[in-house]
Amino acid sequence: MKKTVEIPLGSQHISLLEPIRFRFHCENEVIRDVDADVGFVHRGVEEACASRFEFKQVGYVVARVCGLCAITHSLGYTLAVEKLLHVSTNERIKYLRMLMVELDRIHSHMLCLAHTSENAGFEALFMQIMNDRELIMDVQEALSGNRVQFDYISIGGVNRDLSVEAAALVLRNLALLEPKIDELFERFTNNWSLSLKYRGIGALSLEQAYMYNTLGPLARAAGLVTDVRLETDDFPYAQVGFEIITERGGDIYARNLVRLRELKQSMQMVRNIVEGLPEGAIQEKTKGKPEGEAIARVEAPRGELMYLVRGNKTSILERVRIKTPTFSGIPAMIEIFKGSNFADAPAILASFDPCMSCTAK
Amino acid sequence: MNKIDVSLENVVETIKAFYDPAAHHFLTLNALRAPEDQIELEWIFTRYGVIEEPTVFTLTCKRDVLIPSVTSFIPSAIMSERETVDMFGVSIEGAKRGLYLDDDSLQMPLGRCRV
Amino acid sequence: MLNAFIQALKNLVSKPVTLQYPLAQDIVLPPQYRGLIEYSAEDCIFCDKCEHACPPRAIIFFQEENGDKVYRYNPHLCIYCGECVRACPKPEEALWQSEKKQPFAVRAENVNSEWKVWEERCHSSREAFAAAKKAKKAAKAQSESVQGDL
Repeated sequence: MKKTVEIPLGSQHISLLEPIRFRFHCENEVIRDVDADVGFVHRGVEEACASRFEFKQVGYVVARVCGLCAITHSLGYTLAVEKLLHVSTNERIKYLRMLMVELDRIHSHMLCLAHTSENAGFEALFMQIMNDRELIMDVQEALSGNRVQFDYISIGGVNRDLSVEAAALVLRNLALLEPKIDELFERFTNNWSLSLKYRGIGALSLEQAYMYNTLGPLARAAGLVTDVRLETDDFPYAQVGFEIITERGGDIYARNLVRLRELKQSMQMVRNIVEGLPEGAIQEKTKGKPEGEAIARVEAPRGELMYLVRGNKTSILERVRIKTPTFSGIPAMIEIFKGSNFADAPAILASFDPCMSCTAK
Repeated sequence: MNKIDVSLENVVETIKAFYDPAAHHFLTLNALRAPEDQIELEWIFTRYGVIEEPTVFTLTCKRDVLIPSVTSFIPSAIMSERETVDMFGVSIEGAKRGLYLDDDSLQMPLGRCRV
Repeated sequence: MLNAFIQALKNLVSKPVTLQYPLAQDIVLPPQYRGLIEYSAEDCIFCDKCEHACPPRAIIFFQEENGDKVYRYNPHLCIYCGECVRACPKPEEALWQSEKKQPFAVRAENVNSEWKVWEERCHSSREAFAAAKKAKKAAKAQSESVQGDL
């Protein structure tokens, strides 16, 4: 007699934002083995970047890989190409780029928290967080001119300066958001459904985190000290008050706490950036064609994003390799699922904050 | 980045001797088309928590040979190995086809010769 | 726990935060919204820089036989990145980014296939013009060499 039952989750499921299919091999309630199928939204971006588009246009192409982390994608690509063109940007450009990335992190983490609360049965809290998230979306729209497709970063600089009104709007909306995040913090630590119920569910040990090369909030919740902001010197993160945040336990509760604490820290960093913005031009002169190979790493909201670019002195690049956070996180996700209850699967999945458009590119 | 050339015979041993799970972070396996129907593979590693240039192990070999896998000691490499198999039409030990592509889709989009 | 309950009760009696679009309220676009690309033929110097810079190739110039060029723009293909305006040697005069909202594409307008026809015609007009120019040059060179022989 066969002991396990196969239950699929996805590719269309109420708890999923994007198409991914898991096939759980369950023994009664407990998941024993998992198959993941991630390629539903493959669009061939890497191929397009290296054949149809010139290197100056590719920054806008890779921004379309993912809607939520559009800014980190264009930043990763731009950093890699700037290394090939030997362009060094001034402090103001670095600060403005950091500003957008941190704003992006705030709204992405809020989206994830909204979905984790929804999967705990908190529809109303989901709506409330999504409503509060609009404050940051408004700021990003005012800064870049569009709500989702920011197209803010170009090779050699940024496309827009921070106006006085926009800076005031950033500070005003952050002040409005601050008490709401505090309230969320209280809710995620004290509410029975969100704290006690999530403790010990979907846990990842530190050894497993090392073993499966986890990254982003998933690794930091397990106590693994890894953050690209700490591991690269492309941006002066220490100046704006960045400190690594880690938790212990590696369960959904710890992941939520990491995200909430990062939210608060990112808000403080945004404030520091706006208040201490150095003077300078927003665009540096670039010339020449990319030659050689460069790797750029950026800390996206979900973890480490890597771009490898190789050029051969022509306008068309030879290779653009995109390594997205969820892509490398999937083996760890599969490991976490093993041994959990099937009923917890949607909640565990939401706490990973998976991004399928990034994964399949 | 620090590049280390490896050969088809010693690639697994070299990476195994280098890789320390508690210190090194496996970034990805990257592949590139090389002239004369060859393929260039790059295993990229960084360190946790410190500023350091990535270490890259490069291997250039024929497209039709069986490339050894590092998944025995880096389990998370399975994703990039499967992606490389799909995109470049090479064969890597233990990596199935079909992560992104179906049987009836255009095969090995990045491995084809561009005119 | 109690706070959440109080908040839920408050939410029950408070106004909805969503907008009644498009019936009661209109969406207010923020200042400096990245909208439609606008063009003025009088100021354009026809350098084709915007055409080369555009990532989705939403700007194409049609070449007429007498040497004039006609600007063609597809708002449905445009990604509103503003790269063309930054490439333009005369920004704000010949080419600029307005704050107008992009139009909706409706099926009756047949935007896709019509644009493909246009794209094809623009490219063939370019090729025909280049070929004619080359033929003219060759004819001129030939006549010059004939004159030289005499």
